Amino acid sequence: MKKLLQSLFLLMFIAMSAMAQQRTITGTVKGKEDGVPIPGVSIRLIGAQGGTQTNAEGKYSISIPTGATGISVTSIGYVTQSFTLPAGNVINVSLASEAAQLGEVIVTANAIRREKRTLGYSAPSIKNDELTEGGNRSVLNSLAGRVSGVNVTSTSNTPGSSSRVVLRGGSSISGNNQALIVIDGIPIDNSSVLGGSSSLAGVDFGNRGNDIDPDDIESVTVLKGPAAAALYGSRASNGALIYTTKSGKKGANKTEITFNSTNTFSSILKLPEFQNEYGQGYYDEVNGKNATYINDPVENWSWGAPFTGEMQEWGQMIDGERQVKPYSAQKDNIKDFFKTGFVTDNNLSFSGGGEKSSFYLGLNALNSDGNYPGKNDFYNKYGVRFNGSTEFSNKFTAGVSVNYSKINSNQVGTGQGGNSVYNNVLQTPRDIPLSQLGDLNNKYNSYGFTDANGVKRDDLYGYYGAYTMNPYWILDNYDNFNDVNRITGNFNVSYKPVKWLNIVERVGIDSYNDRRRFMSPKYSFTAADEAGNYAPTPIADNGSYQIDQFNVNEVVHDLMVTASHQFNEDFSGSLMIGNNIRHRATTSNRTATNSSGGLVVPNWYNLSNSNGPINVILDNISQRRLVGLYADLNLSYKNMVFLEATARNDWSSTLPVANNSFFYPSVSGSFVFTEMLKDNSITNILNYGKIRSSYAQVGNDTDPYQLLSTYSRGTINGNFGSTVFPFGNVAALMAGSTIGNSTLKPEKTSSFEIGTELGFFNSRFSVDFSYYKNNSKNQILSIPIPGSTGYGFSVVNAGEIQNNGVELSLRGTPIRTSTGFSVELYGTYTKNNSKVVSLMPGVEQVSLGGFSGMSIVAAVGRPYGEFYGVTNATDAEGRTIINEGTGMPVPTSGAQYLGSYNPDFQASLGSNIKYKNWNLNVLFDTKQGGVFYSNTKDILAFTGTSAETGGDRIGVIFPNSVYLDVDGNSVENTSITYNKQDYFGGNLNPGVNIVDASYVKLRTLSLSYQFPKAKLAKTPFGQASITLFGNNLFLWTPSENKYADPEVNSGGSGNEQGFDFTAQPSVRNYGINLKVSF
Amino acid sequence: MKTNNIFNAKNLVLTLLVATVGISGCKKFLDVNENPNNPDQAAPTLLLPTVQAALGQVIGNTFQVYGNFWAQYWTQSPSASQYKAIDQYNTPNTTTDRPWLTLYRNALVNADLITKNPGANLERTKGIAYIMKAYAFQVATDAFGDVPLSQALSGNQFGSPVYEKQALVYDSIFSYLDKGLALVNTPNAISPGAQDIVFQGDAAKWTQFANTLKLRSYLRLSKIDPAKAQVGVAALYSAQAKFLTQDASIAYSSTGGNENPLYNEMVALNRTQNIVASGTAVRAFKANNDPRAFKFYDVIGSADTIAYIPQGSYTANASKRVSTPSALVGGNANNTASAVAPVKLISAAESYFLQAEAVARGWANSGSVTTLFNEGVTASFLATSLTAAQANAYLASAADARIATAGNVEARIKLIITQKYYAMCGFQGFESWTEWRRTGYPSFFVPSQASTLGANRWPLRFIYPNSEATTNGSYPGTLPIYTPVWWDVN
Repeated sequence: MKKLLQSLFLLMFIAMSAMAQQRTITGTVKGKEDGVPIPGVSIRLIGAQGGTQTNAEGKYSISIPTGATGISVTSIGYVTQSFTLPAGNVINVSLASEAAQLGEVIVTANAIRREKRTLGYSAPSIKNDELTEGGNRSVLNSLAGRVSGVNVTSTSNTPGSSSRVVLRGGSSISGNNQALIVIDGIPIDNSSVLGGSSSLAGVDFGNRGNDIDPDDIESVTVLKGPAAAALYGSRASNGALIYTTKSGKKGANKTEITFNSTNTFSSILKLPEFQNEYGQGYYDEVNGKNATYINDPVENWSWGAPFTGEMQEWGQMIDGERQVKPYSAQKDNIKDFFKTGFVTDNNLSFSGGGEKSSFYLGLNALNSDGNYPGKNDFYNKYGVRFNGSTEFSNKFTAGVSVNYSKINSNQVGTGQGGNSVYNNVLQTPRDIPLSQLGDLNNKYNSYGFTDANGVKRDDLYGYYGAYTMNPYWILDNYDNFNDVNRITGNFNVSYKPVKWLNIVERVGIDSYNDRRRFMSPKYSFTAADEAGNYAPTPIADNGSYQIDQFNVNEVVHDLMVTASHQFNEDFSGSLMIGNNIRHRATTSNRTATNSSGGLVVPNWYNLSNSNGPINVILDNISQRRLVGLYADLNLSYKNMVFLEATARNDWSSTLPVANNSFFYPSVSGSFVFTEMLKDNSITNILNYGKIRSSYAQVGNDTDPYQLLSTYSRGTINGNFGSTVFPFGNVAALMAGSTIGNSTLKPEKTSSFEIGTELGFFNSRFSVDFSYYKNNSKNQILSIPIPGSTGYGFSVVNAGEIQNNGVELSLRGTPIRTSTGFSVELYGTYTKNNSKVVSLMPGVEQVSLGGFSGMSIVAAVGRPYGEFYGVTNATDAEGRTIINEGTGMPVPTSGAQYLGSYNPDFQASLGSNIKYKNWNLNVLFDTKQGGVFYSNTKDILAFTGTSAETGGDRIGVIFPNSVYLDVDGNSVENTSITYNKQDYFGGNLNPGVNIVDASYVKLRTLSLSYQFPKAKLAKTPFGQASITLFGNNLFLWTPSENKYADPEVNSGGSGNEQGFDFTAQPSVRNYGINLKVSF
Repeated sequence: MKTNNIFNAKNLVLTLLVATVGISGCKKFLDVNENPNNPDQAAPTLLLPTVQAALGQVIGNTFQVYGNFWAQYWTQSPSASQYKAIDQYNTPNTTTDRPWLTLYRNALVNADLITKNPGANLERTKGIAYIMKAYAFQVATDAFGDVPLSQALSGNQFGSPVYEKQALVYDSIFSYLDKGLALVNTPNAISPGAQDIVFQGDAAKWTQFANTLKLRSYLRLSKIDPAKAQVGVAALYSAQAKFLTQDASIAYSSTGGNENPLYNEMVALNRTQNIVASGTAVRAFKANNDPRAFKFYDVIGSADTIAYIPQGSYTANASKRVSTPSALVGGNANNTASAVAPVKLISAAESYFLQAEAVARGWANSGSVTTLFNEGVTASFLATSLTAAQANAYLASAADARIATAGNVEARIKLIITQKYYAMCGFQGFESWTEWRRTGYPSFFVPSQASTLGANRWPLRFIYPNSEATTNGSYPGTLPIYTPVWWDVN
């Protein structure tokens, strides 16, 4: 800001006084740190058109036309410098590299800009070019591997899919654990409401934090701890991501038009590994090592006979004929089912400004056609952003920032729901040529067809499978539409009556409407089969139509008064006092056709087509308000010691009146100790050193309406169906499931952090290290209580979670030559230990998700997000205990803790390699440790298609197994055999589907070329670049994971993580980006 | 739909106004936490139908399936898999989470809220609630044995309700019934009318229901505490108690969500027919040439016999086509008539057989065993839309109907319970299995071929639910399903 003002003043001064002359300026541009000449530096005229570049020796020559008042010197990776025209004809420049930019300005809480050196907490910042170089269309996904302490889970990594960002571990047992997203000072909603009935049959409609277009973003600052985010109050107890959107430059005196086109292809990153030895069917009889098999054509099982390669009939007999195919493995039948996806994202922006005003207008359109065949999985997003600000003569400045986005999409269901495509794809026997079954007019693939006599048979199906549906038909007949309209933005006015006082008023809004429509067809088909292989009972569904609608409207106001004072040469300070008011109103409606009766008329998707009373699943409105007063005191001494203290008091509408006021302070300090060593020769090595520390508390309120027990409409659920009132004309109420609590107190998180930032060799090599410890206490929890109390849950203040860990970031440039060749390396390491310290007396764990056989829990004494379920019993030496009679594993006597979804540690390693106008970027990241539950593994085992079901199947010994003798001692099993079909085709203990979630990913790889100015001179373009990129390109997993990308998740971005319930497979993206500016 | 205008003038102005006024207006501004979505009070007459429909779900759905399987009327279809674990006698704790929830959180807690309501003129409604509470506790204790009782249903006070002895639960059942009887007979009490979906508030019928339930409950103690049972039964008769002469049932409709709970469940399972005829019951019906068999089961196509498989033999009969329950009893997934099958809390036939047993044991001072027995069989025939004449023909010929010539008390009781077994097919599976546990009749059960319990072991109780095991600090530990409950000393 200061710099900008300075140059503005300079410009004005020069414009008035300097007489321009026609002459030529020459000079050499060298690196400040190493003195090596820099080629390809762009030299632009100020006050006139024109520019040039330095040659290979770093030399330039530019003729100065009338009107020119100076030059600016710009190169990627260096701090831009501007010069007014001197008396002489030579300007030699030494450019400081950006890494060495110790005066780096960071946008912190409440959009306050601070010099990085003054901060007492870790606050890394990422610029637009780093964010977008991998071509990922999600800002959140682009953070993966960039910054330590940030745990990003990108799920399927397609446009519109969920991303979860957790900083320094989860601090809340059942509440939100994700970082708060703040755009230009206004916190925005990052809700993630999974579509479908649950994660077992879910539809991922993403999270609202992904609505923003990455091309509109200037930078993202990561405020990891409560200290950094204390001014945001309760919502930022999980840290915050501070987005700053692009703005025009004042005095740019022309409108810069930039066109940015990113075109991305995608393919499935990881499919399971399959066996290719056995086909459709199952064994009939076993005699020793030999078995006879039944080739049952209705089957989804691949437990049939070994492949022979001989031609054989398969599927239904229709019109006296069956199809014929060789009995051999269709090795790529799953892979070939998917197609290459394509995403085109085009962004056109206009930015510029006059002397006192600036603006930025961004238009973007993203169109995506996903990897499922056909056009029924799509995602389109359109956005307009306008940012503008103007200074008025009477010491007022006003600004506006508005973003409108519109999304329409159709997402494919996952899990075991009727609309799940992947589930049906995976249950295809190994010899069925799945990818050839797409012609739904072919009677052998269809549901409803025209028979040999030309008669239309809408009641018959010809598809081979009786237990699965043709996935192509599902894609054609089930829809999950989503429409989102959203406006976010803020209006701000600032008034600076005197130099030391600044008053800012800002009002932000975030308002959206998220509407989903779920359509499931009504059908009843009987097999057309004439051979008697298929059951005579129909496969049937009454169909359904459901509308979910979520409206969120949030208004935030902040009034901030800042006074600053320079006490003397060494000592300065500022004090800010602010008021924050927040109002959030939401409505949620879920309405569907009668859950039992379904649709009256097939294919008519309208609630008026409900067969029976309309099913009101949810009709909910809520509002909450919060008033906060805060203060922020900053003191600095000799630009060396910095101290910040904040205090905030909140009053919340959601807490009982007696407890609704809560106060929390923070204090942080920074000491740049190298300031004391300025004359010491050690600064030749250690040129910058800072230590920092902070302590903070953050209070938190709860959701609305937690204080009283309530009643709801009478609905008595069976396991699948339910009795719903009104019962005829009889209405009914029933006690709700939760006992309210009228004495709730606010939650409290306290956090301590200590860290250092070091720069070596003129900051050519830099280190950033933090240690932190956060404790969240008094959590407001809905604790499960025994049903015998008459209720299911009780709202209590209980529970504590502790997270501590270390974060390390390294950055260095080992190679930088005079020929313009440089190699920069950077890396991060993050280790977070989470622990559930306590819940409530008598309560050992709380479920976060999963299903009855496998839950994800917060259990006392264990890391957050632990899997809990029955698994195969093992002895002390880890050998599997089998049943002496069956040869198959016995289950553990009860559920076991099976590991957490959180990684032991994460790390990343990246490099920027530059040569002249070329830039190669590569980034690997890894998470090690942690597990996930793979229902994909379970389904493949059941159907006998996974690699683990291959090999010898009959009369085999369970690997590394023992049985227990009468005394309970292990006896090594060398003789008791089992048949794989009996084990895998039965019900596996859920614990065997827990898989190591470790991975290494090639997160991004990009190669870009910046066209030299000289070459563009005769074109209308000011700048042009072309980039080939890829993200999520390659994945390495431990050998036990033959099933899925561990990042996929069926639970979206909520606390239910690591849950692959036949989740959408993730994709690799690769493409080309073209960026030109006029 | 109300449009969602982001420039919501009201919000903006409000916000700005409050900002200006400052926090002096804070208190009022923050007073928005009153729940607009759910009431925090409920009239007892609105809670009553929930209690009854919840019992309909338990008795008519989950327990209907378990009961009919374990009483060997039904078995798992070879072409589906939903209920394999029931035939395997291998039911993990999680399988009882749902019925436990329905009993305690849908039926009992709402009955309890009715009885504790301080409002006036609620005697009849409260009386019915007490009787329903007695019924629900009997179902709970007959299924699980010891269950939470005195500390149950008080979540604020007792977060971990202790489990109390089944004997105490039975004492409470008698006490709730006495309270209920007194309240429903309060003169000039206001009737809940249609809000009572069983008897529409009819005090006389509720009196009969409570008496019949009391008779059932005392007879349940016939083995463990015959003295107490005899005194209780005698007291009923000396007070000239009237018993049910018609079914106490809930009538369902074909409206989605109002259907027979088992049918509704099958629709939600995409109408997969999981339930088929078990050889145990079908063969017994056949041996007596019982025409009711063709009412309880469907024949296949134009066949004139009921195709069955032995209990739990789904693996051995992989491709066999087996008869299904008829739509009369709510077990037929593909016949929409199954939607309107009633759920019987107590049937008229059961009432007669209970009275017959009381007389046969010599504990009742009026009535004839043969008459009551014949009335029970006839009621069953009429309930399956057969005629009294057909009942008489059956009574005259069937081996299991010869009550008049039965030699001794035990022989009579055997016939009474066996006939009760026939009457309850598909309608009252849980009660039938329970009476088998008490008396050992009928005596023709065979072990399920899918049993995982080993020889000579039968399912004799329901396993405690996982939700209690994981949340109740007073959980007594899981008991295997072959452990008998307290009154089962057979």
